[in-house]
This record gives sequence, C-alpha cells and structure tokens, in this order.
Amino acid sequence: MGDEPTQDGKRFDSMEPWRGMRDVYMDAWAKTMVDMVNTEAYAQASGAMLDSYLTVSAPFREAIEKAMLKTLEHLAMPSRADFISIAERMTNIEMKLDDLDAKLDAMYALLAKPGSAPRTEARQVPQPAKKKAKAKPTKRGKK
Amino acid sequence: MAEARVITDPYTDAANRLKTLTKVMTTKAAIAQTPKELVWTLNKAKLYRYIPVLPKEKRHPVPLLLVFALMNRPYILDLRPGHSFVEFMVNQGYDLYLLDWGAPGPEDKNLKFDDYVLDYMPRAIRKLKAISGSEEFSLLGWCIGAILTSIYAALRGDEGLRNLILLTAPLDFSNKQGLTFARWVDERYFDVEKMLATFGNMPGEMLDYGAKALKPVENYVGNYVKLWDKLDDPRMVEAWQAMNTWVTDNVPLAGGAFRQLVVDLYRSDKLMRGELVIRGERVDLSRIHANLLTVIAGDDHITPPCQSEPIMSKVSSADKELFHVKGGHIGIMAGSGAAKNTWPHIDGWLAPRSQ
Repeated sequence: MGDEPTQDGKRFDSMEPWRGMRDVYMDAWAKTMVDMVNTEAYAQASGAMLDSYLTVSAPFREAIEKAMLKTLEHLAMPSRADFISIAERMTNIEMKLDDLDAKLDAMYALLAKPGSAPRTEARQVPQPAKKKAKAKPTKRGKK
Repeated sequence: MAEARVITDPYTDAANRLKTLTKVMTTKAAIAQTPKELVWTLNKAKLYRYIPVLPKEKRHPVPLLLVFALMNRPYILDLRPGHSFVEFMVNQGYDLYLLDWGAPGPEDKNLKFDDYVLDYMPRAIRKLKAISGSEEFSLLGWCIGAILTSIYAALRGDEGLRNLILLTAPLDFSNKQGLTFARWVDERYFDVEKMLATFGNMPGEMLDYGAKALKPVENYVGNYVKLWDKLDDPRMVEAWQAMNTWVTDNVPLAGGAFRQLVVDLYRSDKLMRGELVIRGERVDLSRIHANLLTVIAGDDHITPPCQSEPIMSKVSSADKELFHVKGGHIGIMAGSGAAKNTWPHIDGWLAPRSQ
C-alpha cells in the first residue's frame, strides 16, 4: 500500500506531501524569526534578560565564593585564586623557557652550518693558547 | 503477506531510525584523523605539524600555518577522513602546521589580542621556521583567526610572511545595520564588564547560543529535522554527526579578547579605522604587503561579505585577490561543496606562491 513501488521504480512515500508542507511552514517560520532577532526590540529584550540574570545571580555567587574561600582557609588548602596565580606564573616561566629553547636552537643551527664549527672554535680559543697547544707535542717529542 | 509487510515495515523502519538517531545524538564522531605531531606548546596553545605524505622534493618549500578562531575547536579544518581541508592540503604537498589555541581557563581571563598576536603567534612561527628550515611562511586565518592574522601581518609582516589567506574575516564593523551581533552588543543593551565580572571568560555556551540565535529555526529545529529525513543515508548521517560533534564542542573566549572584540571592534570599528592599538603599536592595515587572498562566503550570516571586502582597498599588497564562494560561514570550508570549490581555489592560488 503505502510503500508499494510505483511505475518508475521509486517507493511511494505517503509522508512526502506532509513533508513539503512542513518545509514551506518552516521556511516561513525561519524568515520570521531571522527578522525578529534582527530588531532593536529583540536586542533590548535579550539584553534586559541577561542583565537581570547577572544581577540576580551575583549575590548568590558572591556568597558561595566567600563561603568556599573561608572553608578552604580553615582547611589550610589553597584557593582558586592561589591556583590562578600559580598558573599565571607558570605561563611566564613557559615563555622564558620557550625563548631559551629558541636561543639554543639558533646556536645549534649556527654550529651545524658547514664550516661554522672551526670558525667558532677559532673565535672562542684565544690565539696564544693555540700556539702553546701546537708547541707542546714538539717539546714532548724532543724530550 | 503484502498487508503484513505494510504493517510491520513502518514500525521496523521507525525503530531503526530511532536507534540511529540515538546513536548519532549520544556519541561523538571520530574527527581530526590526519596524522600529526605536537611540536610546540605554550600555556593552552599547541602547534601541530601534519606528517607529510609526499617526499621533500615534491613538497612546497614555503610552510603554511593555519590559525582558527579562538572560540571554536580548529578540527573543523580536519573534520573527517575524505572530507578534510588539512588532508587535502597535505596531499597537495604543503608543509602544514596548525595553531590550536586550546580552551582558556580562569587564569587566562586577561588574555587579549595583544598576547595572542605578539606573544603566542611569533613564538609559534619561530618554531615553525626552525622545523621547516624556511624563513618564509604563509598564514591562513579563519573568522577571529583572520582578525589575529591580519593584525599580525600589519605589525610583524616583515618577519617572513609571504602569503596571507583570510577566510570569512570580520574586519570591518562600520555597517551596524547589517550586523546583528553589533546590535546585540550595543552598549545600551549589553554590559560587557558585568558579564566578564561574573564569568571571567565569555562562556562557550553563551557564544554558541549567540551564533545559533542568528538563525534560530535552522539551528534549533531545522538541523534535527534534516537529520531525521536523512537517517537512512549513512553518508549523510556520518557527515551530520561529525559536524554536530564540532558544533557542540564549545570553547570559552578569554575575557580580555572578548572585551576587545565587543568594545574595540563591534562598537568602535577601530581596526578598519586605523585606531586599534596593540601593546602600544597602532595597527595600520596598509602595512600589509604579503600576497593576499580573501575568501568570502556569499551566504555568511555570521560574517557578512561587507565585513571582509573593505580590506582589499586598505592593504598595500601588489598581489591580491577577492574570491567569492557560495555557502555559509562554515559551509565554504567544511560543507559538501568545499572540496570542489574552496579548497582547489586556495591550492591553485597558494601553490605558485609557495615556491
């Protein structure tokens, strides 16, 4: 009956006309709602609702926060503010470590460049010391 | 026999559909499957490098960094295998990196665009340069990510930025009548300080409500009606589930950044007017010289085209292109037509500029 194949091979769907009506209705509804949320009245109403929620909830929230803080103090445990302070410090340390890491990367890159290592040695080792180092084997050899 | 089939089939069908619906609504889809490695972290931010699939000689030498919005997860760029921008770009031979901002905690409530642009991005880019061995790079910013990349390009563009791609970039806030968000956050109706004093960061659920309320019927009703109609189509169900997994995975927006977005941008349009100051430096968009591709979604209700187009006349880039795509804010990159339109166009534009 309802789902018997039709001549073109497709199954007849008795819900199809209803679906079409539904889609037309939803399109109209959607357009109305989009127009509504674009009005000043909607912006004002949603703003007022949000504001009253924030105003009403503020005393409860503050009371809970104070009670929690006192409880944690009595238990000699760190508060949320303490954790936040530590987390902020950690981020600062992380940044410093990241900068150090980058500097190390740059130094390794310089050292890894072909021909850069001997030049670096030459810069670091003072010239007199080099001469001494060369002279030593000769002296030892003579002895 | 025929009658028995007529009686039982609708019930069996309905039972199967309900089963599928329950599964789809209660489970998360497998997303972000493209292989990647974590190469850098700072606070909640992470830099990922996608494992290349082509040998080095076939890859583009200039790496590409993806920067997504602050208030959504970036895996929309790598939604599911076979339907992933990331997978597509890796297959095209890009050395691809993704900056994931993570979810800010209470300790991050003071984070501002200043921190993201001048502390996080330069460090991530420094790492990218060290790994790729390239002094030049390309940036792709999407939505709020496009604001960050534009500011970066204006302030630090001379530090190796060769190509800049902006997707649905909300940069111009002058057309107040055309922006529903601008009306909602008008100072007469919305007290940003009270909101941030209460929550610290702007909660993800509220941001999600704001985005969905722009088209309430489509998002709260039509989306589920569409799923119900397509429950017999496994491919459609899979696509819907992946998108739903992303849509419901909300991230808060750091309080400082939210304040800047509302006060400096939506209310004062400071970026386009050249009045935005980031850590003492004025952001002058005419200092952008990188090759620029701006992608605009024709049906974008979150970032209407009027917000993205004006940057074209502000920048100093000699090589710039404005590309209009049919589709919505997310659809142009993650919709069914993205693989045929947006992705190949981005690749076609970027490939010759990445040599």
